[in-house]
Amino acid sequence: MTKTFKIEVSEKGLLKALRGFFNALLEQEDIHALLAPCQLPSQTMVMPTLITAGERVNQIDPLAPAFPMNSAKIASRLTRKSSGGKIAALMRPCEIRAFIELVKLKQGNTEDLLLIGIDCLGAFGNRDYQLWAGDNGDDASRQYAQEVLSGKKTGRDNTKLTQACQACEFPVSETADINIGLFGMDTDREILIQPLNDKGAHHLNAIDLPATEIPATRAKDIERRISEKISFRDQMFAQVGEQINSQKKLGAFLSSCVNCYNCRVACPVCYCRECVFVTDVFDHDPSQYLSWAQRGGAVKMPTDTMLYHITRLAHMSTACVGCGQCTNACPNDIPVMALFRTVAQRTQAAFDYQAGRNLTENPPLSEFKEEEFEEVVGIN
Amino acid sequence: MGKKLGKALVVGAGISGIRSALDLAEIGYGVTLIDREPHMGGILSQLDHQFPSNHCGMCKMLPLVKRDQSAQFCLRKGLFHENIDILLNTEVLDLSGEPGSFSVTLREKPTWVDPDRCVGCGACEAVCPVEVADMFNQGLSSHKAIYLPIPHTIPNPYVIDLAACNHCGACEEVCPTQAIQLSLEKRKAFRILVVDDELIVRDSLKEWLQDENFDVETAESGSMAMEKLSQHPFDLMLTDIKMPGMDGVELLQKAKEIFPALDVLMMTAFATVETAVDAMKIGAKDYLMKPFDPEKMIADVVQIYEDSQAGAPRTLEVGAVVLSGGTAYFDPAENKNIYDYQSNPNVITTLEMERLLSGTGPTHGQLIRPHDGKPITKIAWIQCVGSRDIQCDADFCSTVCCMIAIKEALLVKAKREQPVETALFYMDMRMFAKSFQRYRDDAEMAQGVRFQRARVHSIMTEAHSANPVIRYVTTDGTVENETFDLVVLAVGQRPAAGTPDLSQLLEIPMNPWGFMDTIPFSPVATERTGIVAAGSYTGLKDISESVMYASAASLEASRVIHAGGGGLADETGSETAFPDVSRADPRVLVGICTCTDRYDPHLDADALRQILKRDPSVKDVIFLQPVCTASGWEEFTEAIASSQPNRILLGACHPYLFIHKLRELSRRVQLPAELMHVVDIMTPFFNPAAESAQPAPSAMDSVLSNLQMGISRLKHMDPLPLARSAVVRKALIVGGGIAGMHAALSIADHGYPVDLVEQTDQLGGNLRWLDQTIEAFPVGPFLDEVLQKVENHRLIDCHLQSRITTSFGEVGDFYTTLENTQGDAQTIQHGVTILATGGEEAPADDFGHGDHSAVLTQKELEIRLEQEDLDVGDIDTVVMIQCVGSRQEPRNYCSRVCCPTSLKQALRLKKDKPDMAIYILYRDMMTIGFAEQYFTAARKAGVIFIQYDLDNPPRVGTGSNSHAGLSVTTRDSILSRPIEIEADLLVLATGIVPQLPKPLAQAFGATIDVDGFFQEAESKWRPVDALKEGVFGCGIVLSPRSIQDSIASAGAAAQRALRILAHDKLAAGKIVSSVRHSLCSLCERCVDSCPYDARTLDSNTQKIVVNAAMCQGCGDCATACPNSAAVLHGFTDSQMFGMIDSAMDAAWSSAPTAAAGDN
Repeated sequence: MTKTFKIEVSEKGLLKALRGFFNALLEQEDIHALLAPCQLPSQTMVMPTLITAGERVNQIDPLAPAFPMNSAKIASRLTRKSSGGKIAALMRPCEIRAFIELVKLKQGNTEDLLLIGIDCLGAFGNRDYQLWAGDNGDDASRQYAQEVLSGKKTGRDNTKLTQACQACEFPVSETADINIGLFGMDTDREILIQPLNDKGAHHLNAIDLPATEIPATRAKDIERRISEKISFRDQMFAQVGEQINSQKKLGAFLSSCVNCYNCRVACPVCYCRECVFVTDVFDHDPSQYLSWAQRGGAVKMPTDTMLYHITRLAHMSTACVGCGQCTNACPNDIPVMALFRTVAQRTQAAFDYQAGRNLTENPPLSEFKEEEFEEVVGIN
Repeated sequence: MGKKLGKALVVGAGISGIRSALDLAEIGYGVTLIDREPHMGGILSQLDHQFPSNHCGMCKMLPLVKRDQSAQFCLRKGLFHENIDILLNTEVLDLSGEPGSFSVTLREKPTWVDPDRCVGCGACEAVCPVEVADMFNQGLSSHKAIYLPIPHTIPNPYVIDLAACNHCGACEEVCPTQAIQLSLEKRKAFRILVVDDELIVRDSLKEWLQDENFDVETAESGSMAMEKLSQHPFDLMLTDIKMPGMDGVELLQKAKEIFPALDVLMMTAFATVETAVDAMKIGAKDYLMKPFDPEKMIADVVQIYEDSQAGAPRTLEVGAVVLSGGTAYFDPAENKNIYDYQSNPNVITTLEMERLLSGTGPTHGQLIRPHDGKPITKIAWIQCVGSRDIQCDADFCSTVCCMIAIKEALLVKAKREQPVETALFYMDMRMFAKSFQRYRDDAEMAQGVRFQRARVHSIMTEAHSANPVIRYVTTDGTVENETFDLVVLAVGQRPAAGTPDLSQLLEIPMNPWGFMDTIPFSPVATERTGIVAAGSYTGLKDISESVMYASAASLEASRVIHAGGGGLADETGSETAFPDVSRADPRVLVGICTCTDRYDPHLDADALRQILKRDPSVKDVIFLQPVCTASGWEEFTEAIASSQPNRILLGACHPYLFIHKLRELSRRVQLPAELMHVVDIMTPFFNPAAESAQPAPSAMDSVLSNLQMGISRLKHMDPLPLARSAVVRKALIVGGGIAGMHAALSIADHGYPVDLVEQTDQLGGNLRWLDQTIEAFPVGPFLDEVLQKVENHRLIDCHLQSRITTSFGEVGDFYTTLENTQGDAQTIQHGVTILATGGEEAPADDFGHGDHSAVLTQKELEIRLEQEDLDVGDIDTVVMIQCVGSRQEPRNYCSRVCCPTSLKQALRLKKDKPDMAIYILYRDMMTIGFAEQYFTAARKAGVIFIQYDLDNPPRVGTGSNSHAGLSVTTRDSILSRPIEIEADLLVLATGIVPQLPKPLAQAFGATIDVDGFFQEAESKWRPVDALKEGVFGCGIVLSPRSIQDSIASAGAAAQRALRILAHDKLAAGKIVSSVRHSLCSLCERCVDSCPYDARTLDSNTQKIVVNAAMCQGCGDCATACPNSAAVLHGFTDSQMFGMIDSAMDAAWSSAPTAAAGDN
């Protein structure tokens, strides 16, 4: 069995301990930079930040319930071609899964990247976070982590986790190189540092960390958390499934869409340089609108809203990791994530595929299997 | 410039004829493809499922290079190629002239239905009162006297069964397009004179013929006949032979002197048949046997009448003729009919079974007995019905029946969810070709098909159930009776009808069984240069061999045309440059053919015009007189010239028929042909949607929607210049055996240089050690002749003791580096690559080979015999063991040549020493085709054949002294016990292993199959191509094969290569994919999805590049690309959206229930 390590937590708290670990990591010769969520100097938001110098390490904050963007896109930008150095990236499990999808689509590379996952405490919506955190992010995060890890109800003023986080059954990364374990640990005293593969082990061996065993409480705690989330998720599937089971109902579900395309900009796996919906393909002739209107007496403007979502589902639902950034980005509060996950649940199951599960599985639409969907293609 | 200099005639439009025609057309010749049937496709039109995929794949034969010359269209439905004229209902009447310049006379049979006018609406069929057996379904169902010959062709005009039609005229009345003309009235002008001394004969003939509407007179003697003839001209005379006074022959002579155009039919009793035959030599058309079968008599007379009505025969000048007349099948009802065929409806043939399995068959594909609807749960096939049977004059194997039966058994299994018992009764299962053995093994082991080695005695019928009962004898002599629901007879081949006539006409001999014969060492050439025979015309072949032989035939035909000065098409002329309209706003001219006002009751012209013109891109809508007439077309052309549109849409019928016309129009009005489009507006008017619960759009709405779809397609069409890539017009051939040399000569004879690379120090390959063929043709002189030709050919550059080190590039432009034994390297640029690296006898490590001097392989024996290094006098007993290491994993394939080789050697030894005892221990004797005769001959010569199974293989004991006799033990199934043979010589048939090193194949982008042979792009339809365009394989590297088959494959490979070399630039199709780089995210999904390797990521420019010549326009890339950075021209998003939208319009107007405009 692979050796596991711990970092000790002093009375200065979790954040301090984590920052110490990252500092040690960054001091390694073969790590040139660290991509991690950091408190902005204003302390009002947490953003992915690329750190090369030690002092910025003190702003790293993976505990904050803030998730303004999915950093898979950032990791993709940093690794599409060689950056000339090796980067360690601290990401949420859903970010790692999205990044793995991007690597499969040749939009990123894991070669010069050390993926570090951390047990995910979930996040609030962007506006909720800002209202909730006020202007002392560090304190807020500390308090939040304590509440979540101790199993208390989270949040104050009725602020809730996003729907995506509540429905997320992958709070612990299985595909990172190293995972930082919080669940089921006595986090007042120690944090689990677990290499998940040789690459992770190699880097951990270089830092002098005390070894530890994984406590039995951890698996139990994780199982409990996941089962809660799955029950939330399944309720969501049932509810959304009911809401979109006809063309008419789907129209109603999407009725406030204004074609701003924010959801696709926020989506980590929507990798097209330019979406087909902003190209000339959907730049219809004026006469076309008139002809549509003439057909039924009226045409709702803007057009192509439902087609846009259906197309995005066709293209991306097999790669959807359910991070919820689409919902987060919608100005008109359409629960886009709920729609995507409900559909993705089925499309991914159809191909026995799970977005971000591992790097070696080909995306379903990029390979042709003659034996697949015989009932659909009519072979035999 | 661009002129097609050569022409060829292809006789027979089955799969082989289609392949030959396409081959010749693709390299630039003009081809006339004829068939005597009213449809194309031959036997394949009846077969829905083909080994090994058990699906159809005929479309894979469509041209890949310059594919726009041909409509990319299901080949079972039809063939549309610029260079191919198709004449159906047509036969060869005469041929004269020299190779390279033949004059051929063709006769087109009248059909009564004008195929150009028939729109296939089916109104005639509905009113026809006559039911006839449907031969398309092998007589298992019936159709009317006016019918569609096959259900799936396009265009699909009706035809009339002239013999069955009762001329009621109902169809003629209902035909909306006046396509049917029964011409009964015209028959009254056809005058017939009946001459017989017996009143009863005269009167009955007169009555029968008058019923057929002919004008009939009678005469009771020769002299009276002469008198009548001189009074008034007659068209046909029927005369008795034996008459008092002037007899029939004399009358014939006199009448013919004065009226040479008069057709005469002799009427004869059995006794004077010879006289009648003689009479035909002096001008009688035919003879009728008394007593008359009125139906046959009338059919003959009607035929003569129809022939007289047929247009004048047409004469063609062609350089070469390809005969691909296909094959006929044995009728099991002939002779003793031991299988109760036709008397028991539950005994059918394999061809009937194919129909039974088809969705267009008599049971619509349900697995039930056609005559009583009983589900089929137990079914048997009996092999070799009419094959391998000297009693019915068939000392040959029909080659394909074993595989057909296995395929049918598997299809039956797949068809029913409940288990079906399937049994094959056979003598030898012949799985002689690539992957056949594994197909059989899978059928037996995984699918549970029962293979019963037995001799079938007869079939009896159970009285109460009509179930057939097979009585058979098993290998141990037990007699069994077994009852089945259905028995399928695997019927063998017979020469195609009319072969003797054609043989006589063309002065080409037939083989002893009546098939057209070819000359030694040439699989397709006949004794008459310039006339080649292909496909099953020279003996039944499976699809891949038919296709291969067809290509070999077209190659030989092309050689003759080329040598005769015909030349290949030369395309040095530049493509017509059209004015660029891509930036101009679309201006569409819509022409609507009114078909002589036929649509009037349904078509509101003003409304149509008004609605179409709502689209601002529609410049004008005009209504035209029939555009199928010259004047209608002219009217359309003038309208285009005057209104100067930049897009043209024509609403008419049968869009495929306009392919050529549009190209012509394009040149006249200076507009690219892809900016013109034809849509079908006829079908909605005449085939209104079937009654259904859904409200169907009205005809007018459908027409409108079809036109609007066409407009959408055109509006967004962005004409691209045709991508062309230069071709290095040189071939590289790897391997200097017979296949490589034949391919080299074939290409060099067409004027293109060839580099021939051979790793040893001499050319010739396996022919260097082969002494003679099974037919006893000596190999040496043939090899010398070929070697001399190759070595002296100014265009062939031989590189001996050389090997390939690297190669890169793609079709039209490869760079290959060779290295010789001295280490000198050179790089050759070439346009195509042929791999002919061959194979060799598999090593023997069994049965004491190498330890004992009396154990030889077949090759060793052949060499010893040739060098007279074997003292036959000392040898009294020879044992030959077949399938040593073959047909079992890891070499689980038949090497095909070993059985004939053993027979060849056995017969040779028997000839030298008739009392020599020869035992051949075999699993299944694979003497396919006409090689069967040597199996028979060997048995007659006293060679003993003992069958063995893998469970009980022979064992060989050798004494301690290696020169002592050998003892071979094997189990005799008839005696049911082991027997021991003391042998002086043991010959092992070890089979063939390929010589195709993986790095070599990979260098050219070819792949290797599980057994190490060259993997063809498609085993049936593209048997010599690699999937990578421009790379071909031939000879043993494909799979084990004889000299003849190697030559055929080499011809085919050369032909496939020539289709590239014949062009100085490779023109891509108009429909190719391209990349919008500004949108591309380089995810490479398109590269992964391209089945033709046409897309690559250029690492220098970091762009996806498309090789337009390799791209086949399948659109997989466009499907895989999420943001339309991969674009398929002609199918862009805007076009597709527009078309879908227009299609929805019709649905909308019939069912406007969806919420208004929510999208």
